[in-house]
Amino acid sequence: MKKTNDNPTFESYNRDPKLFDEIFDENDNVRDIYKTLFNLYSEHSAKDFGRLNNKAKSSFFNQGITFQVYGDHEIKEKIFPFDLFPRIIDAQEWELIEKGVLQRSKALNAFLWDLYHDKNIIKEGIVPLELISSSANYLDQINGFDPPGGIYNHISGTDLIKHSDGKYYVLEDNIRCPSGVSYVICNRTALKRALFGVFNHYQAHTVTDYAENLLQILETVKPKGVDVPNCVVITPGIYNSAYYEHSYLAKAMGVELVEGRDLFVENDFVYMKTISGPQKVDVIYRRIDDQFLDPLEFKPDSALGVPGLMAAYKKGNVCLVNAPGTGVADDKAIYTYMPEIIKYYLDEDPILNNVPTYHCSRPDELEYVLENVHNLVVKPVDEAGGYGISIGNKLSKDEIEEVRKTLKENPRKYIAQPIMSLSVHPTYIEETECFEPRHVDLRTFTLLGADKEFVLKGGLTRVALQKGNLIVNSSQGGGSKDTWVLKNN
Amino acid sequence: MLARVANNLFWMGRYIERAEHVARYMNVNYFASLDAPNELSQSRQFVLQSLLFMADDFSRNDHELNEEQVLYDIALNPDNAFSIINYVKLARENANSARDLISTELYEAINKFYHFVLNYPVEQFQKGGLYDFTVQVTENVSVLRGKIRGTLLHDEVYAIIMLGVNLERATQVIRIINSKFKDAVLAQGSYGDTLKNSYEWTTLLKCAESYDMMRRFYRETPTSFTTLEFLILNPDCPRSVMNSLNQVSLHIRKLTHEKYPQKHTSGFLIGKVRAKYQYKIIEEIEIDLESFIQNILDDLNSIALKLEKEYFHY
Repeated sequence: MKKTNDNPTFESYNRDPKLFDEIFDENDNVRDIYKTLFNLYSEHSAKDFGRLNNKAKSSFFNQGITFQVYGDHEIKEKIFPFDLFPRIIDAQEWELIEKGVLQRSKALNAFLWDLYHDKNIIKEGIVPLELISSSANYLDQINGFDPPGGIYNHISGTDLIKHSDGKYYVLEDNIRCPSGVSYVICNRTALKRALFGVFNHYQAHTVTDYAENLLQILETVKPKGVDVPNCVVITPGIYNSAYYEHSYLAKAMGVELVEGRDLFVENDFVYMKTISGPQKVDVIYRRIDDQFLDPLEFKPDSALGVPGLMAAYKKGNVCLVNAPGTGVADDKAIYTYMPEIIKYYLDEDPILNNVPTYHCSRPDELEYVLENVHNLVVKPVDEAGGYGISIGNKLSKDEIEEVRKTLKENPRKYIAQPIMSLSVHPTYIEETECFEPRHVDLRTFTLLGADKEFVLKGGLTRVALQKGNLIVNSSQGGGSKDTWVLKNN
Repeated sequence: MLARVANNLFWMGRYIERAEHVARYMNVNYFASLDAPNELSQSRQFVLQSLLFMADDFSRNDHELNEEQVLYDIALNPDNAFSIINYVKLARENANSARDLISTELYEAINKFYHFVLNYPVEQFQKGGLYDFTVQVTENVSVLRGKIRGTLLHDEVYAIIMLGVNLERATQVIRIINSKFKDAVLAQGSYGDTLKNSYEWTTLLKCAESYDMMRRFYRETPTSFTTLEFLILNPDCPRSVMNSLNQVSLHIRKLTHEKYPQKHTSGFLIGKVRAKYQYKIIEEIEIDLESFIQNILDDLNSIALKLEKEYFHY
């Protein structure tokens, strides 16, 4: 490790040669794409960044762009930490990502159609039956049902990282209710407010066109016989941690934001209760999990959903976005079959890499995992938010034994992967008042509609603010960065 | 617009307006009492009782009130249902549920206001922060009024908020009149004043931010007669009950779409109440102010109930 340069705000920036550094190359030179930005940032003192950092923080706070953290005694309102150093992706690199995530989303959609219809991929033995039959997320209710437009995963959030080999790898496909897109837009706004001058030197794609594209996608999957569909966003309510995002999307699309109690079903049609009486609803962008959608079909004590909603859906009178039952395909065990799934449905080679994965359900692979826990990341297949993950090289001897024991007890529940080293990016650290390298990932947002597709040119670069930490989820203290996708010159 | 959200916006308007009137009432009365012309109205107990009466229908008694406690209860006590901090919390919560309908500018202003009140240091407030706090509350509310008028689409959403604001304004102005009237009855004579020429009328006008304009209109020292006429019946006084009723009547038309509202509708009731006060004269009111106040509060309440039944029932 050595000093990278003499810029004071980069004083404590120590490049780790074992990791891929997004802005410094192996000779400690600033990569071409970041040169202009780096020079511009060098004009500011550490004090300036401290001030700008506070300004950005209060901007988020005043705008109420916050999420709630549930502590032992009280609910705290927190801002999602925002970093002043943007991530830049050049046009060529982006083209690969865009094609790759679109390919995955389409393959997953075809996979879901197959799983809920003929199940050929299982019959042909490409994906094992037990993966589906043992999945709590497979919905028998929609077996044989054709969703409007033939689309299941209208909205996909794909999580990517850049490994030490400089290549992108997909970590996860989120196709239930992926969140975070509002932060992409907020981060852009916040960076413009703080350092608008830097935008004069780069040609970055806009990110504010997401909502209008989302609305168009929703309109393409309207039920049969509807001319101009009435679209709504359904939210669990103001106490949900993603409520800001729900309200942002409804506002930006100009549609109503409803809660379950605002809707009712009559004769298998869905209505919302307005000041001038009931009004029919045609397309619902739901931000409620499957299990809470309809107390008559799922959890009977759920107050978040609408009784009779699934019956209306199955009659084809309302479209749910994403379709119920998509969860079966964003299972971490299914992820490991993605190369085969892409090949099977699209007859293409995967554009983006999958991380090699060991299935603890397979005896020989379990054996390898048990022997190599210290070199692997072990993940439960069905937990979201970074919970239940153990990272081998961070564990003590006793903890490794603990993991082994858990794996033997319940092998189906776990997969293991080599420890991927997420790339690092300069991040402003309040304590040292300097930029330091921190691990980042990237979540992209892909939309699929009937004859329409869209990939947001930008994404959410999440950053693990704690030194050495690899988990970037906001619920575990992660922050985020504005992400620029450059236009082709 | 969703019925539930309409109800929330209606109450957002009401709570914003209420917070301002309570803050201003505290400010004006407290500081007017410091150099009031007679002993009773100078007495701290007299003022504190008046504040509690206006904020919470407190009935006067001989029990000694603690100044710090009363001021804290009305302004910053989160456990107290009638405190300013609670009104602002509720306004923000209501705004939260309608965040997709209101402008970012309005939401940001409400949110800033909320954090200002929430983080106001209690000790600083009790040790001489009363003036600063109450003035900031009224200024924040002015900002909100500006954002409501200047950044929202003047459609049903706006109409619902304005119905809440104006019904609350009429209610609060009547409560202030009631409170100051009771003060004037008690404080009369101790400085050779009759009720008619009580110093409390000036305070009352200042509580409604209407003193200067009233002087301009009548060109004389306020009396009970001119003060009540101005604050109840003058349609050009922006704080008068008549003006609020005119506003309510204007905004209900955005929701009804009917030129002549059907009986049993909110529009019909509003028109009826408005007509009643439009053709009222102050001489009739002065005969029995107490019954008049009760009647008008009942009328305003019946309008709110009717709106709730017709539009917010879900």
